[in-house]
Amino acid sequence: MSATATADAPVRAAAPRQPRRPGARRRADVAAGYTFLSPWLLGFVLLTAGPMLASLYLAFTDYDLFRAPTWVGLENFTEMFSDARYLKSAQVTALYVFVGTPIKLAAALAVAMLLNMKFSGQGGYRSAFYVPSLVGASVSVAIVWKAMFIDDGVVDRIQQSVGAPAGGWVGNPDMTMPMMILLAVWQFGAPMVIFLAGLKQIPAELYEAASVDGAGPLRKFWNITLPMLSPVLFFNLLLETIHSFQVFASAFIISGGTGGPADSTNFYTLYLYTRGFVQFDMGYASAMAWVLVLVVGVITALMFRTSRAWVHYSGEEN
Amino acid sequence: MRIERRAVAGRPARRTAAGVAVVSAAALALTACSGGTGESAGFADELDPEEEITLSLAWWGDDDRANKYEEAVALFEEQNPNIQVDTNWIAFDDYWPARNTEAASGSLPDVLQMDLSYLRQYGATGQLADLSEAFDTNLDVSGFDEQLLAAGAIDGAQYGIPTSTNTLALFYNADVLDQVGVEPPAEGYTWDDYAAFVEEVHEAGSGEDPAIFGSGDYTTTFWFFCQWLIQQGTEPFTDEGELGFTEEQMAEFLELGADARETGVFFPIEKTKQLEPLGAFTVSEAASEMSWDNFLAGYVAETEQDIRMLPMPSGDNGPQMFWKPSMLLSASANTEHPAAAAALIDFLVNAPEVGTIFGTSKGNPAVAAQRDAMEVEPGSVDEQVVAFEEDVAELVTEPAPIPVEGFGAIEAEYKRLGEELQYGNVTVDEFVTQWFAFAESNVGQS
Repeated sequence: MSATATADAPVRAAAPRQPRRPGARRRADVAAGYTFLSPWLLGFVLLTAGPMLASLYLAFTDYDLFRAPTWVGLENFTEMFSDARYLKSAQVTALYVFVGTPIKLAAALAVAMLLNMKFSGQGGYRSAFYVPSLVGASVSVAIVWKAMFIDDGVVDRIQQSVGAPAGGWVGNPDMTMPMMILLAVWQFGAPMVIFLAGLKQIPAELYEAASVDGAGPLRKFWNITLPMLSPVLFFNLLLETIHSFQVFASAFIISGGTGGPADSTNFYTLYLYTRGFVQFDMGYASAMAWVLVLVVGVITALMFRTSRAWVHYSGEEN
Repeated sequence: MRIERRAVAGRPARRTAAGVAVVSAAALALTACSGGTGESAGFADELDPEEEITLSLAWWGDDDRANKYEEAVALFEEQNPNIQVDTNWIAFDDYWPARNTEAASGSLPDVLQMDLSYLRQYGATGQLADLSEAFDTNLDVSGFDEQLLAAGAIDGAQYGIPTSTNTLALFYNADVLDQVGVEPPAEGYTWDDYAAFVEEVHEAGSGEDPAIFGSGDYTTTFWFFCQWLIQQGTEPFTDEGELGFTEEQMAEFLELGADARETGVFFPIEKTKQLEPLGAFTVSEAASEMSWDNFLAGYVAETEQDIRMLPMPSGDNGPQMFWKPSMLLSASANTEHPAAAAALIDFLVNAPEVGTIFGTSKGNPAVAAQRDAMEVEPGSVDEQVVAFEEDVAELVTEPAPIPVEGFGAIEAEYKRLGEELQYGNVTVDEFVTQWFAFAESNVGQS
């Protein structure tokens, strides 16, 4: 940037009808650029960066929303290790992320492969499978989901008809996690569409060549589809992992904001909300938020690190 | 001009961005600090009928209450053409997070509905105005019972004006009891009698489809524990805003339900969780439930059955009930129109028309003029509530416990641990230990 600028300057200065100081035009351009950026910049600074800095400060304070925060150093962070509800919420969230995300991606990939086959009405199916993702994050779906899994709800009736009544999943702490994971898996549309796009990029010659060499479908999947798809897989894995750490709305609705029954759906963000806005421990809640940021950051970094071993970009030497 | 140019030159984005960030962080911290100034001058000023004023008013409740408030507010605006009232309402659970965030930035609504559980929290931290300044000028409190009015004051500062009173009651569903052939508890029944009744209903109703239960686990509601404590001669909270009871007492109360929990006599928690926001009683699968007496209207509407009320179970000296001042109205300490805010509260608590509009839906109106203005139809829910409160008036012998700061949180924790107890995840002893540990870090942080 600065190199071009210095190269520009003498040329401009020598040009006729350019009485102003050198670089004025460029500065005007820069100003215009920032002016156009300003709505986003303002939003970012005031609505994201500012509150984030404030929360970083609050994480080291005892702050109840009503009185001025008082500095407590690392107390909020050390308290987490002895807070049974915190540890339970971390455990519940980890289970949800590390079990739910792979299942969701597997489902997305399986359906994407089905939709990649040539048959009529394929566009219709694609839309149909994508719809849950559009409505999935909404409040109404969480309510419908709860109604489906409630005592004598649709799922319970099906279980009754096969002779395995469970009395509803919603009130049973052992069954709420499967229910939440199913809700997440059902919204596989976004990764599915990305997988589908990835699948269409794989050259057909590879499969033809493999067929000639006598490879079966499993072998083709393992040795062609997966490696060729690995950048897309990596992208989806990253996004979905980060996304599912932040699960909030569905658990909030289904448990009525409590994370119940018996804290079985008390996800990290839900507990954070409870501590901050119900119990007025805004300092502790801020500390929790920063721990989450760090954990997600570390996990993301780890994924990037391991990705070198299993993600193959085309044109890259092995 | 020059300054502007200099800002654009150099490395504009990073420097200004960092600057703005620091300023905004500082601003956040500042507004957080300025929450409680405690200044509340001007409540006794004369209302200027020429000044155009906009007041904000917030309450919690349902559609029904919203319609009633809107009607009352419209009347107020009619009588005070220079005042416009902007209304805002939401359900109880969501009401407090919203108010809490407003309180943090010192922007509470001018007038807001306040619950006894939160009065100390907001009052002690300087969020609310001392309304006693407006007494005899913009706010007439001559119609109030002194003790009731005092329930809205902390250390002599009147942070809230009770609009109505509630007392605890035992509701039973006469139709359901007929169905299973069990008699309701007799007058003067004790906690043990009630436990026996709950078991009897369970035995008689287990063959029904769906099974009929006597009640849910009533030992896991904090207010019932408070009522029981008062019967034991213990004030739940001290004047200093601390807990007035011991771990042993809490364990003793929880043990009242131990047998029933073990043998599955109570309405199962698994079902309770699934019914929310309804309850076992509202779907007619439990024959009785303890609650506040203003719930009657809701129960009758939901069950469409014959719902009746009894006083709470007795201790050694009778039920020893108390009036809980409910639906208090408070004014923000930061209101720009103190006189108008006081006038709005005055109208809502005193105007007979408002009594006609609300009936007993918020409890029994605090001021006689509003009670008398209720058009109580024979056989109506309102009549039943009024009759109940008249009947139990002589049983109400105790002042209402003034909740400690942090009451909302310890009450919620009691409920949460109550669920864990019913799922069998904690024992009574663990419940008590955990609750007290929680209370220690949440009660009276001042």
